[in-house]
Amino acid sequence: MPEFDMYVPRDLRDALKFLEEEGKRTTILAGGTDLVPRLKRRQVVPQVLLDISGLQGDLRYIRREGDVLRLGCLTTISDVLESELLGGGLGMFKQAAQRFGAPQVRNVATIGGNVASATSSEDFIPVLLSLRAKVKLLNARGERSLPLEELIVGKRALARAPHELLSEVNFQVPHGNFWSGFEKLGRRNSLAIALVNMALFLALEDDLETVKDVGIALNRVSGKVPQRALEAEGKLKGQSLSPSSISLAQSALASELNLKGDYRASGWYRTEVALVQLRRLLESCYVKARGG
Amino acid sequence: MSKHFVVMTINGEEKGFYVDSTDRLIDVLRERFGLKSVKEGCGTGDCGLCAVLLDGRLVNSCLVLAPQCGGKAVVTLEGLLQDPIMANLQAKFLKHNAAQCGFCTPAMLLAAKQILDRLPTPTREEVASAISGVLCRCTGYYPIIEAILDASREAEAAP
Amino acid sequence: MSEQALRFMQSVKDKADRGELLYVGESPARVDGLEKVMGSPVYTADLLPRDTAYAKLFLSPVPHGVIKEIDASAALTSRRVIAVLTWRDIPGLNESAAVLPDRQLYASTVVRSTADIVGAVVAETQQAAADGARSVKVVCDPLPAVFDPLEALKPGSVRVHPGGNVARQMRIRKGDIERGFSEADVIIENTYRTQFQDAAPMETEMGFALPSRDGAVTVIGSMQSPHHTRAAVAKVLGLPLEKVRVVQAFTGGAFGPKSDETPYDVCATAALASTKLGRPVFCSLDREESMVVHTKRHPFIIRHRTGALFDGRLTAGEVEMVSDAGAYASLGVYVLGRATFHAMGAYEFPNVKVDSYLVYTNNTYAGSLRGFGGPQAAFAIECQMEELARKLNMDPLELRLKNMLRDGKRTATGAPVESCGLPQCVDRVVRSSRYLERREEYRGQAGSVRRGLGMAFLIHGNSLGPEGNDYGAVILEIKRDGTVVAGTGLTEYGTGAVSGLLQVAASVLGVPLERFRLDRPDTSRHRETGPTVASRTVVIGGNAAKVAAEKLRKRLGLVAADIMKVREERVAVVDGMALDTAGEAPPVPWSTLVQEAYSRGVKMWEEGYFMAPPAPWDTETGLGTPYLQYTWGALILGVEVDMETGCYRVTDVHVAYDVGRAVNPSGIMGQIYGGTVQGLGYATMEELIHRDGYIVNPSLTDYYIPTSLDIPEEFKAYIVEEPGPLGPFGAKVIAEPPIVLPAPAVRNAILDATGVSVNELPIAPEKVLKGLRGR
Repeated sequence: MPEFDMYVPRDLRDALKFLEEEGKRTTILAGGTDLVPRLKRRQVVPQVLLDISGLQGDLRYIRREGDVLRLGCLTTISDVLESELLGGGLGMFKQAAQRFGAPQVRNVATIGGNVASATSSEDFIPVLLSLRAKVKLLNARGERSLPLEELIVGKRALARAPHELLSEVNFQVPHGNFWSGFEKLGRRNSLAIALVNMALFLALEDDLETVKDVGIALNRVSGKVPQRALEAEGKLKGQSLSPSSISLAQSALASELNLKGDYRASGWYRTEVALVQLRRLLESCYVKARGG
Repeated sequence: MSKHFVVMTINGEEKGFYVDSTDRLIDVLRERFGLKSVKEGCGTGDCGLCAVLLDGRLVNSCLVLAPQCGGKAVVTLEGLLQDPIMANLQAKFLKHNAAQCGFCTPAMLLAAKQILDRLPTPTREEVASAISGVLCRCTGYYPIIEAILDASREAEAAP
Repeated sequence: MSEQALRFMQSVKDKADRGELLYVGESPARVDGLEKVMGSPVYTADLLPRDTAYAKLFLSPVPHGVIKEIDASAALTSRRVIAVLTWRDIPGLNESAAVLPDRQLYASTVVRSTADIVGAVVAETQQAAADGARSVKVVCDPLPAVFDPLEALKPGSVRVHPGGNVARQMRIRKGDIERGFSEADVIIENTYRTQFQDAAPMETEMGFALPSRDGAVTVIGSMQSPHHTRAAVAKVLGLPLEKVRVVQAFTGGAFGPKSDETPYDVCATAALASTKLGRPVFCSLDREESMVVHTKRHPFIIRHRTGALFDGRLTAGEVEMVSDAGAYASLGVYVLGRATFHAMGAYEFPNVKVDSYLVYTNNTYAGSLRGFGGPQAAFAIECQMEELARKLNMDPLELRLKNMLRDGKRTATGAPVESCGLPQCVDRVVRSSRYLERREEYRGQAGSVRRGLGMAFLIHGNSLGPEGNDYGAVILEIKRDGTVVAGTGLTEYGTGAVSGLLQVAASVLGVPLERFRLDRPDTSRHRETGPTVASRTVVIGGNAAKVAAEKLRKRLGLVAADIMKVREERVAVVDGMALDTAGEAPPVPWSTLVQEAYSRGVKMWEEGYFMAPPAPWDTETGLGTPYLQYTWGALILGVEVDMETGCYRVTDVHVAYDVGRAVNPSGIMGQIYGGTVQGLGYATMEELIHRDGYIVNPSLTDYYIPTSLDIPEEFKAYIVEEPGPLGPFGAKVIAEPPIVLPAPAVRNAILDATGVSVNELPIAPEKVLKGLRGR
C-alpha cells in the first residue's frame, strides 16, 4: 500500500466540511472494492482518503418519492438485489446485481462507488444511463443536480468539483406498460468483468405496439465509458416493434458502435454480441411489457 | 499516514486498538489477533479466501481498511467453533471430503454458514451462488456443495 | 467363543483367503482432515515469530538484456530496510535450476525473461521490503528477444542461451512411416496450439528460514519436495547438506510449480538472508508475483499428419511437437518426454514418426503443471481423431473403438499393453452419457441453440518412467500407546495421496487409519524419497509403506501367536485386534499386543523402501517401455452452444478411470472432480498471455479460473479397476490424469454441435463465432 492519511468523519456535515477544506487532495472511500485493489497496485496514490462508509443513515437508502426513485450513494449491490422497489419492470437492476462480482463484493460495493469509478467495468452505469438518471452532488453550502451523462466526462473522470460529494442517483420511473432487462457477456459466471453489457428499458403506448420510450446503454459505445446508444434509441421511438424495426435498430447500433478490442475479445466480437443483446432485450421486454 | 483508534468486536469480544490508515482488516485479524484462519490469496478481492463476517455479512477482509471498522463486529471461523450450525458443516465437510489442501476451507465454511443462516434449506443453485466468490482449485466445488446441502438436510430433519 | 464371534472370525479368514484387504477401497477421513475443517493447520505464513525480517524479490525489467547496474540506493535510504541481496552475496553457487544448469538464482549479467530474479530486499516489515524492492532500479541494455518458439527454431534467430535454442529434442521411429502413408486411403494434416496455463494454487510460494548458531539453517516452506529444496538451498549457501534442514509446512495446493525452482528461490533467499543477518527471515510471493515468477504449463504447437484406411484403421502417424520452454528448461526436459510418449494417444499406430523440441524463448519459463505434457499431447491427438472421423464420415466413437489400445496391442513406442481397463471405461461413459441415443436426438437439430457431444480417451504412463530413479521411503513407528506414527519425505498438499499411502499401511497392519499420525516431512528425519510429483505417492510411496508395514505385521503376528498360543498362520489382525481365525483363542486387543511387543524388546519401527524397476527405452528410436503401467480413462461430455454469440456451456460430464485398485475411493473422486474442473478451465477460459515477454494478465482479476457457477450441472464419475503390476494391490496413478481429457472433449463437442473446428486453446466463444461466420 502507498502511504496515505485517512479521515473518518463524524457525520455528513463533517464530511462536507472536510471536502470544503481538503477536497483537492482527497479521494473518497466507500466500499473500497474498486479503490483498494488500485491502491495495492499503486494505480492511484492518494494523499488522504475520506471514509464515508459510516454515513449510513444519511447516504444508504432506496426510496420512492412519487415517481422518482432515489438511491443513496452508499446503497450496496446486495441492497439492490434485496429491494422490492427495484423489481418488476425495473428488473434490470436485479439482473445487473445478480451478475455483479460475487456475494462478498455485492455486500460492500456501492452504487455511488460504481458511478464514481466511471469505467466500462461498472455495470450499474449503463443501467442508470438507460433511465436517464440524475445525480445529486452535495457540498458544504448546498447541492446541485445534473444528468449522469454529464457527470461522467471520461474514463475515471467526473464533472465533480473537489469539494462535492456524490450523494444520490435518482431517476423517473417510467409510466404504464414498460419492462427492462440487462445482458452481460463475461468469460465466466462469477467475478467477471463485462466484455459487453447492455441495459435497456422499453415503454409501450396503450396500443401495446408502439414504442413510447426506450433507453439503451452499453458499457462502451464509442469511447471508454458507458454511454447511451442514441441512434438505436432514435430508430425505435414511435415505431411499432417488429423484426424489421429491430433490424433497423441493430444497424443503427452497429454504425454508432466503435468498440475497441483487447486481449480479452476483439472489437468485432463485442459488436456482434451487442447486436444480439439488443435484439434479445427488445424481444423479451416487448413480451413482458405487453403482460406476457 | 495517520493513526486511528478503533473499537470493534472481534469474535464476540470488544477490542480497542490503534491502526495505521493503511492497515487492512485482514492484517489486523491475522497479525494483531492471531486469527490465522483468514487467508490471503490475492489481496485484490478476486479469490475470497480472506472472507469474514462483518456485521453479519460476508466481506473480503483484504478490501476493508481497518479505520473503517469502528463499531463493527467481525466473526472469523475461530469465533464459530462452538456454533452448532458450524459444527454440523464441519462434520459434513469431513464426510464429503470437501477440504483438500484446506486453504479455502475457512472462507467456504463462512460462506456456507451465511447461507444456512438465511436460507435453511437452500437449493443447489443457491448454494453454488453463495460460494461463488470463493475460489477453490482442488475440489472442483462438487464436494463442497454436497457437504453444504447435506448439512442443510440434517438441520431440516432435526427439530 | 460365541456363535457370532466364530462367524465373524470365519468371515475375516474368508476375506483374507480371497485376497481382499481391510481398508483399501474404503474412504476414511484423511489423516489431516479434521485440522482443515477446524481452520487450524499451520501454513508457512502462520508461524512467523516477532523478530522476523521480510524479504521481497525484485525482477528483471526487460525480457532480454545485459545488466549494467543494480541501483538499490533508494531502498537503502529507508530506515526499515536492512539489506539488499544480489548475486555478489551468494557464498555458494549462484544456481537455482531443477534439471539443466541453465538458471541462476540471482541474475548477474544476462537476464532472459521478465521472471528473472535479480535480487531481494530484506526489511523489518513486509511493506518496507515490498516498497524497497519496488524502488530498486535494475538498469539493463536491452538485447533483441524472441517470443515465438517457431521463430526461435530458425537459424539466425536470437539466441536465448549460448548453446542454442533447442534445450532438448526427442524422437520416435516405429515401423516405416513412408510405407504407412503410401498404404493410406486418406491423409489429413492439422496443427493444434495450446496456451500457457497457470497452476493458481490458492496459497502462493513462500519460505521461512531460521538460523542456528553453528552456521546451520532451518527452512520451513510451502513446497512439494523438501529434499530437492534442501539440496538447492545448500548449494546456494555453500553449506553441506547436513547443515540445512527443510520442513514442509502445511501447503495450500501445489499442482506442479512448487516442485520446480520457485520454492528453491524463496527458500534460498530466506536462508541466505537469515544466515547473513542472524535472525528469522520470511520470503513470499504475492499472487501477482507468483503468476509471473513460478513455472507455467508449456504451450505446444503440434502438427499431426495421419493416414488411415477407408474402414478407419490407422496406418501412419507423423507428429511434430514444438514447445515453448520460456527462458529456462526447468522440468520442461521431462514434460517433453511425457508429451512425446503420449503423442499418439490411446490408439494403435503401426507406423510412427515423432519429432519433438523443447525450445527456449524470452517468455517467462514453463515447467511442471498437472498432466505434464499429457494434456497438450492428448488435445492434439484427440482433435485429430475427430477430424479423421469426419473425413471418413464415421462416428467418432466408432473410429476410436476401432483403433484403441487393448490388452495384447502395442503402444506408439512398441510396448505391449496389458491390464488395460480402457474398454470398460469407454463402456461406462457411453452408457452414462446416453451417447448413442443423444446422437440420434441431435440429428437434424436446428435453431439458435445447438447441442453436441465430445469425447476423448486417456492413456497416462505411470510415475516417473524413464525420468529417473523412481523410489520411495516411508518410516512407520508404533508408539507405546498404539499410535502408528508415519514419516516420509513425500508430501501432502491437498491430493490426499499421503493419506492413501497410509491406508495401504493400515490395511497391511490391520489397524484403522484413525490410529495413524503423519509427521511433517522433514529432511532431518526422513530419508530422500524422490520428489512428490507424477502422482507417484500411492503407487511408489504406497509400496514403500507396504514394505514397512509387512515387516511390522510379521513381527506383531509372531507376538500375537505366542500370546494366543496358536500357530502364526492362524493370526489375523483386524481393526486393531489380533484374532485367532480358528476361533479358539480369545482375541488380543491392539494395546495389549503393542505393550507385549515392547516388553519383549521387539523392534517397533521399520523403514520401507521401494524402487520401481527401470523403464527401458532407446533414446535413438524412442522405442521401448518408458512406463511400467498405464492409467486409462474415457470422458464424454455434452455442450450447448448459443449459435448467435458462440457462447457455450458444458451441460454434463461423464468420466471413467481405470485406477488399477481404488485405495481411497473418496480421495480418488476428489481428484477427479478437481482435476476435471481444472481441465475445463484449461479448455474454456484460462490463458496467461505474454506480449513482448511481459505477462499481460498476471492476476486473478484477469486470469480466470472456474468458480462454483462455472461447473457443469451434471457430473458422473466411475472407477474401473484393472490391477496393474506396479502399485500396491494393483493401484495406478490418478492425481494428474483427470485434467487431461476435458479440453479435447469440449473442442470435439463444439465441433459436433456447430461444425466449427477450434484448433487452439482456450476455446473462447469468439473463436466459435468466428468459425460460424467463416472468418
